[in-house]
Amino acid sequence: MSTSSTLRAGVRPRSRSGASLWKLQRSERMAGYGFVVPITVLFVLFVGWPIVFAVYLSFTRWSGFGSPTVIGVDNYTRMFSDPVAATAFWNTIVFALMTTLLQTVIPLIIAVLLSNVWRGLSVVVRTLLFIPGIISFVVSGVLWKLIYDPNLGTLNNLLKSIGLGAWQQHWLSDPALVMPSILVVSLWGAVGMNMLIFFAGIQGVDPTYYEAAEVDGASRWQQFWYVTVPSLRVVTAIVISLNLMNGFKVFDLIYVMTAGGPNHASEVFGTYLYSLAFGSTAGSIPQLGYGSAFSVIVMLLCGVAVLVQIVLSRRASR
Amino acid sequence: MTALATRAEQTPRLRARTARRRRFPVGRSFVAFVLLAISAFTIFPLIWLVLTSIRPANTVFGGSFWPTSVTFDAYVRAWNSTDFGLHFANSLWITLATVLGVVIFASLSGYAFAKLRFPFKNVIYVLLLATLMMPSTSLIIPLYLQLKSFGLLNTQVGLLVLYVSSSAPFSMFLMRAFFETLPDELIQAARIDGSGEFQIFWRIVLPLARPGLATVIIFQFLQTWNEFIYANTVLQNTDELPLQPVLFGLVGQYQTDWPTLCAGLTMSIVPVILVYVWMQRQFVAGMTLGAVKN
Repeated sequence: MSTSSTLRAGVRPRSRSGASLWKLQRSERMAGYGFVVPITVLFVLFVGWPIVFAVYLSFTRWSGFGSPTVIGVDNYTRMFSDPVAATAFWNTIVFALMTTLLQTVIPLIIAVLLSNVWRGLSVVVRTLLFIPGIISFVVSGVLWKLIYDPNLGTLNNLLKSIGLGAWQQHWLSDPALVMPSILVVSLWGAVGMNMLIFFAGIQGVDPTYYEAAEVDGASRWQQFWYVTVPSLRVVTAIVISLNLMNGFKVFDLIYVMTAGGPNHASEVFGTYLYSLAFGSTAGSIPQLGYGSAFSVIVMLLCGVAVLVQIVLSRRASR
Repeated sequence: MTALATRAEQTPRLRARTARRRRFPVGRSFVAFVLLAISAFTIFPLIWLVLTSIRPANTVFGGSFWPTSVTFDAYVRAWNSTDFGLHFANSLWITLATVLGVVIFASLSGYAFAKLRFPFKNVIYVLLLATLMMPSTSLIIPLYLQLKSFGLLNTQVGLLVLYVSSSAPFSMFLMRAFFETLPDELIQAARIDGSGEFQIFWRIVLPLARPGLATVIIFQFLQTWNEFIYANTVLQNTDELPLQPVLFGLVGQYQTDWPTLCAGLTMSIVPVILVYVWMQRQFVAGMTLGAVKN
């Protein structure tokens, strides 16, 4: 109990003896544990253990009642013969890759443009572009659902009023258009945040590089291509990785806009595992084991996204 | 002391750096035009949202873009018919409690990882770090079962616990980065003066980490306010729900009453807009630090 009193009262080393130094370090150790234990306990209970449990469940069949039946890798092999799993797989991969591409390139271009205009304008544009990023996916999903509404929606009305009535579409109920339509909403929300990260990166580029390039007679395009772009490699690696991860784990937006429909056309891993576990239709039997197998796949994909970042930043710093 | 001095010297240089215009090979006015066009496209859906919420119900479909008359009836309807105040209050208290919890856990542990020496420090740190980005999508099934076994399912406390534990590690990481920039001598000096470890943290270190704390607070506020999947899964009683699941439920309920729907959505984004406008500078500073530093 002397430790807790040391903790509270602190140590007052009157002499420089070894004993007081030891006491000093001990109070530091105890404080270290005291400060770290709460977060670690929470972590173990609500992150660490659930990860392990999800992996275990993915090898079982379980409806949530009784105890899980271990069935080996059946859940994983089942995916190959499940047409919905195939759709979810392709949708997730394509969605992640397309959002990553668009949500990296477009923000980069905007950030570069922004660093080239008057400060006042730059501030206004940055503020406006960022606003969709702070709005929840529920709100943006519902909002865009109204915009995409085939009969009453603004988009189709707008097309009609500018004489492009032939372009009117059932944006969210046409299986071929539903994923691209959702992609636009994702892009709308993500541009501001990614642009800000790039913008900060550009602000951090050492101006002497530009001076050196100018002395060497580099044109402005060349300066952009050979100074700005290489300087942003680490930042770009981060943006790519974040976007990949967000793409792999996408749930909210699609759940709100289509819930994976029409007829699974916009199903991704997130929505599929949710409907397997918590039921898309009332009365369906929860498939916690099969759903967990998709959880594990999403975890692995996010691990891949982290690896991508490590590889890209290592290459950048070489 | 020397560390502080060099830091102070660096600041003007940094400032000169950021003040510098970057080069891009296109005419400025054209660039300005393009940027304004992009901004207009981005902000259009939100303007439409607000305009729709103030239209008289019978002019929503087929009217002109700008409403000819303005009414706030939809706000009254949305507020009364959905118990908006209750859910707004739920969201607010859950969000504030989460922010408080995350700030406490993240700053304590971030400081310990940055400045204190104790055995197994790195093991614990790597453990927390390795799963920093664990997606809620893949944890939802085991977490649901975990809460069920603790008897916390269908309680706001259960939701709160999930929020704090899932976001504290990231904030810990941010706070650690902040604490690491503080000189060790500061803490050593305080120890020699006889301050206890918690006293050092509370009186000396924490006040210096205010910019970091501000970032964590804003970030956490937005994230928790907007969270959907946990809230939609953990809570069943309508009275306990925060706003996001309620807004989601409105879609089916007000399929054709767009002004009411839009009024509800608009009211729900007021707090995040306020936080964003109010603390924008710190938000941007912290975001860029968090993103660029790692």
